Amino acid sequence: MKNQANPWLTSNLWVLGLGMLPAILLIGLLLYFTAWAFAFSFTDLALVGRKSVEWSWVGLENFERLFTRRGFLESLWTTVIFVFFSAIVGQSVLGFLLAAALRGSRSTLRSVVEVCIMLGWLLPDIVAAFLWSATTAQTGLINQLIITPLGLPPVNFINDYALPVVTIANIWKGTAWSYLLFTAALDSVSREVVEAAKVDGATPLQRIWLVQLPIIRPHIATNMLFITIWTFTYFPLIFAMTGGGPGRQTETLAVFLYNQSFSRGNLGFGSAISVAMLLIVGVLSLFYLRLLREPK
Amino acid sequence: MSDVSLRGVRKSYGALEVVHGVDLDIRSGEFVVFVGPSGCGKSTLLRMIAGLEPISGGEVSIGGRVVNDVPSPQRGIAMVFQSYALYPHMSVYENMAFGLKLAKTPKAEVDQRVREAARILQIEPYLDRMPKALSGGQRQRVAIGRAIVRDPKVFLFDEPLSNLDAALRAQTRVEIAKLHDTLDATMIYVTHDQVEAMTLADRIVVLNSGRIEQVGTPLELYREPVNTFVAGFIASQRMNFIDVTPTPDGVMLPGKILLPIQHAGLASARTLGVRPEHLELASDGAADLSGTLAVIEQFGEYALAYVEMPSGETITLKLDGAPELHLHETIHIKVPPEAIHLFDEAGRALR
Ligand SMILES: Nc1ncnc2c1ncn2[C@@H]1O[C@H](COP(=O)(O)OP(=O)(O)OP(=O)(O)O)[C@@H](O)[C@H]1O
Ligand SMILES: [Mg+2]
Repeated sequence: MKNQANPWLTSNLWVLGLGMLPAILLIGLLLYFTAWAFAFSFTDLALVGRKSVEWSWVGLENFERLFTRRGFLESLWTTVIFVFFSAIVGQSVLGFLLAAALRGSRSTLRSVVEVCIMLGWLLPDIVAAFLWSATTAQTGLINQLIITPLGLPPVNFINDYALPVVTIANIWKGTAWSYLLFTAALDSVSREVVEAAKVDGATPLQRIWLVQLPIIRPHIATNMLFITIWTFTYFPLIFAMTGGGPGRQTETLAVFLYNQSFSRGNLGFGSAISVAMLLIVGVLSLFYLRLLREPK
Repeated sequence: MSDVSLRGVRKSYGALEVVHGVDLDIRSGEFVVFVGPSGCGKSTLLRMIAGLEPISGGEVSIGGRVVNDVPSPQRGIAMVFQSYALYPHMSVYENMAFGLKLAKTPKAEVDQRVREAARILQIEPYLDRMPKALSGGQRQRVAIGRAIVRDPKVFLFDEPLSNLDAALRAQTRVEIAKLHDTLDATMIYVTHDQVEAMTLADRIVVLNSGRIEQVGTPLELYREPVNTFVAGFIASQRMNFIDVTPTPDGVMLPGKILLPIQHAGLASARTLGVRPEHLELASDGAADLSGTLAVIEQFGEYALAYVEMPSGETITLKLDGAPELHLHETIHIKVPPEAIHLFDEAGRALR
């Protein structure tokens, strides 16, 4: 007998192809851009001038420059600090603590906290950046409300403590995601299991550390995976707040990439930076995906 | 000493009171079963004894000590949950050892106690497995094992068998009875299941909407229920209730047939209760009740016949063996006067 599993679809290959067209286009486009960046990372292509037309292959020169010239390694280090403190320590830990502490309480405190962190999340990056710069500047709200009334000389936070300020801004901006994820994860832990631990003599801290945290380990790994990748490549908030400065204090890889490609116009070198970033994020993802796996 | 006593124990959630002053004394080593319809407060009561639910009023004492403000781990209790509540990220061994480790018990002793419990429950082969890799029955044993290793004075069970299939439930029931015999601990057991209540309990506590209706041994409840609620709730086949009119010589049944009874409180009798297994088939002339057979269920060893009275009520009979009865046939029933229960207007039993 003839295979007639799905006669309508098999007889309408054209319809099938048409339906898949957007997906094919999208994948094609993604591959095209990746290939483009990869290919031009081996050239001296520039944004303007002679080299924007008459570019030539330069082999591994761009990649050598990553390590021999100042810039890339410093930015990598800034990014690592930024990711570690704002995403992993800040958003993840703070999000978890908030989720654990506010769990089960139906108080107004919970609503207030939730609204606050959701606001941070929903506010457009540029608006948030403006608010943070204005608040932490020499004439900003913090100086006017706290520092000056205490009789101390005003501090230009955004200038003197640029990296801590953008880190804190990003914690405020991104904690909502971790909070929501961990709230859902903690809700998935059976109430009776937690009660069993209580009867077994576990203190509230031990119940969190020895019972709830290990049970939601896959959620934690997923969360780390997402926020690390997002923060690693995060651009608008920092760029709008400091543009990478003062000096290069807040120049994370994303900002460095932008400055090299579009301010300096070194598209070839910029492509090499983006390829390097892709590799780093890929390696990190592999690490987290291993965490996701079941033990043993 | 591990007796448990409740004095005027109350529980309210906000303005809603769900347990209204329960008094109960449970002797050391006793097996007490809480039964009652869904939502009557069995779990709430058990959780207050366990220390998982704050007590809104009254006193709970264990072993002569008031424990209202004593945290769970110091109450000397262990609890087995309906969902087993095993720690999914720990092996069977670790699940059972968790409480002891938290209490900083020496390693050798932990090992010895876990292995002893595993031996009693025959779960030694699974000690290294994760709970996920166990069947429902095996998980239930691990949950019981986790309770045993803590060597509690009082075991609390909240419907521990309700997630098991019928065969496994029967088997585990027998094992819990044996366990009670071996461990000699006080056990408080919540269930919906009549059979579990009747077979396991030294005493049954019948609860209804947050109040105790009756406390007694299974046979006391079966033979002398204090009201229609207990009479209808205990035993696997529900008691038949028939509206009657009292006369000086007995009670008048719906078919205008007089059932002669001598009883001091006869005048206030309104309802007659009789269990299906006490009704007998009779010949036409000797019948107290007659009706048509609406349904018959044959179980082989016995049969349940549902007989529709002319008044519209349905009477259930439990008949031995496999009687040859046909649907829609007229059935004549004899009500043995010694097996009946009389209740007044408020449903209280007449003594
Ligand atoms: N957190 C709560 N808030 C308000 N009411 C509650 C709460 N927990 C339980 N109740 C109410 O308390 C009553 C007793 O509940 P409980 O769980 O003790 O019933 P139960 O006898 O164990 O029932 P089941 O046999 O279905 O398990 C129920 O009417 C329930 O609706
Ligand atoms: Mg319950």
